Amino acid sequence: MTVTATRSRTTTLARPVRARRRPDVVRSRAAAWVAVGLIGLFGLAPIYWLVVTALTPDETAFSFPPSLIPTEVTLEHFVNLTKNEQLFGYLINSVIVSVITAVLSVIVSAYMANAFSKFLYRGRTSLMHLVLASQMFPQALLLITLYAVFSATGLLGSYAALVLSFTTFTLPLCVWMLKGIFDTVPSSLMEAAAIDGASRWRTLHQVALPLAAPGLVAAGLFAFVRAWNDFIFALTLADPERQTLPPGLVHTYLGEFQTAWPDLMAASFVVSLPVIAAFMFLQRYLVGGLTAGAVKG
Amino acid sequence: MPPMNRRDALRLLGLSTLGVTALSACAPDATGGGAARSSGDAAAKTFGFTSWSLNEEAQKAAVQAIVDAYASAGKVTINTASFPYNEYLNQVTLKIRGGQLSGAVQLDVAWLAAMASLGKLRDLSPQATQGGYTEVALSSGQYGGKQLGLPWTTGSIGLIANTEILQKAGVSELPATTEEFEAALTKVAKLGDGIVPYAAATKAAQLKDILPWMKTFGSPLLDGDQITVGDDASVAAVEWYKQLYDAKLIAPDVDRFDARALFAQGKAAFYDDAIIARGVVAGQSPDKSLTEKMKPLPRPVLDAGGTPQALLWGHVIVVVEGEGAEAAADFAKFATSDTATVAGFFEKVKLPPTTTAGLADPKVAGDAFTAEWTEKITKTATPNPFWRYAGYGQIETAIAEQVQAVLVGQASAKDALAKAAETAKGLQK
Repeated sequence: MTVTATRSRTTTLARPVRARRRPDVVRSRAAAWVAVGLIGLFGLAPIYWLVVTALTPDETAFSFPPSLIPTEVTLEHFVNLTKNEQLFGYLINSVIVSVITAVLSVIVSAYMANAFSKFLYRGRTSLMHLVLASQMFPQALLLITLYAVFSATGLLGSYAALVLSFTTFTLPLCVWMLKGIFDTVPSSLMEAAAIDGASRWRTLHQVALPLAAPGLVAAGLFAFVRAWNDFIFALTLADPERQTLPPGLVHTYLGEFQTAWPDLMAASFVVSLPVIAAFMFLQRYLVGGLTAGAVKG
Repeated sequence: MPPMNRRDALRLLGLSTLGVTALSACAPDATGGGAARSSGDAAAKTFGFTSWSLNEEAQKAAVQAIVDAYASAGKVTINTASFPYNEYLNQVTLKIRGGQLSGAVQLDVAWLAAMASLGKLRDLSPQATQGGYTEVALSSGQYGGKQLGLPWTTGSIGLIANTEILQKAGVSELPATTEEFEAALTKVAKLGDGIVPYAAATKAAQLKDILPWMKTFGSPLLDGDQITVGDDASVAAVEWYKQLYDAKLIAPDVDRFDARALFAQGKAAFYDDAIIARGVVAGQSPDKSLTEKMKPLPRPVLDAGGTPQALLWGHVIVVVEGEGAEAAADFAKFATSDTATVAGFFEKVKLPPTTTAGLADPKVAGDAFTAEWTEKITKTATPNPFWRYAGYGQIETAIAEQVQAVLVGQASAKDALAKAAETAKGLQK
């Protein structure tokens, strides 16, 4: 009975409050839903158009005016994908260079970020800004420089050229991202480990890095996506048999006179699935990694 | 934290070295793929052939067949490479400059000046004199008084009509003058049903299509090194174009791809395209008989009896100096002038040959559309005069942007073209 009375009292008390706030709440909720709807529409419309075009037969893909809802549907373009061995080769190349780029970026940037965060030495701040400044160079300038360097060293056309070039533009942001994360690892923990006899190497690997794991995942994912999506470096620095998916798709579907839009859309949809899967799988680490270090203390 | 000691520094250095070593292991060997690397073959039986067509679905099998035929007959090795058409010029330029590319290279005729400026193209005059090429074709491969390219296919960008729409509109004869053209467009406009009478380029990206119209109105575009865009004739051409735009006889925001789509769907009576349009449009159209309704027509002239204007279009094969250049030049001659080869190539891809014998071959001469196009349009086609400048693309863009400003009513034709000419002058190099 007491419980019932309490419920009843609570309900009675709550009602006038709700009633007073309802118009504001409804308005703000409606506004929020409209905003979410618009943003969702804005974000999903290209994906919708991509899927619709991929499912449209060639003859009707160019119908004018274009139709939002396809009148005919075909899986032909997805079937075509399975027959294209060349695309599979591009996919393998993409996986190889994107994974190695991500791993290399994380390894190098973790050590650099740790050095920026936990060591005090003259010129540290300038060095950090120098690392970030390298991100400001136009890509064309970097490309030509890298082309000359790789040509001179015999790396041109190789996976190594791709990985190293991708790393040049993933590293600065990874370092800054991870520096913020290492800043949140209490120095006292590392000092305690040192007092217990752990070497600096062991302290870094057994104390700091595990604590920075979400950040490492976020940085790795960032590097992976940048490498996965790059077009111009992959086209210029790799041999045809080592090119990745973006130039591969252009090679396969875009021509001087004709673009196989439905096939291109089907291929684009399929090749974006691994990235989507990676994001979904690593989402919890990603959110933690991106926000870690945002607030100190 | 205490400063890093020497041991830690050495560990980090060791780790970095290990990483670099691991990456280096991924490096290709000396014979790694790609185009035309120097193989050290003193007999020069190995050379490269770089071509965007080698990777385009409609052409790759036919091009590869030519490569294979020459390689097996001449017992040479041809290393092929390909880049997408839109990135091709940049990629080839970079690789030639870097010494990574030599041998035969397919080029769009518009790119010849840019390639020639690298100073590495071989003069192919000896091959050209033996090939039996037509004069107009030979002109597409000439630059600076030299025959730097052997013409592979020579055509033009001209006007194509949908005769079915014209018949419905009551236009029985293809228009020969601009006045007749306007009258035909007006009749087509009355059909309604979303039909664009003339799917002319109105997007800046493709507004270079205005240049043949400027020539039609009497502007040379370039007189010596003097840009004449902005003269009375070019202003009159743009004002006429604007008049078509305002009367909705041409539509806003149309580029070549849009125009093809409109034409393929039976929603445009006229549009500009290259001779290869027939196959491209057919692939996009639900109307399987559309190609039978397509008719090439010379660009209407200002006064009856004038010379129709058309932009020369085509592909040439150039040879980049380096190991195997001699064999590459011979391959270029074979691919472009061997009658059986060029006729067979035409049969597969419908790109017109460049030799008199090739054009006379029954496989080519028997194709009415190609024969008509060659006779009516290509015969009087001329190269874009700005192609002689490496920055021709920027010059075209400068003009196109100003013409678009006129179309949308932001500037008068006179002011806009004067501005375009001023910008273009700075790009003549």
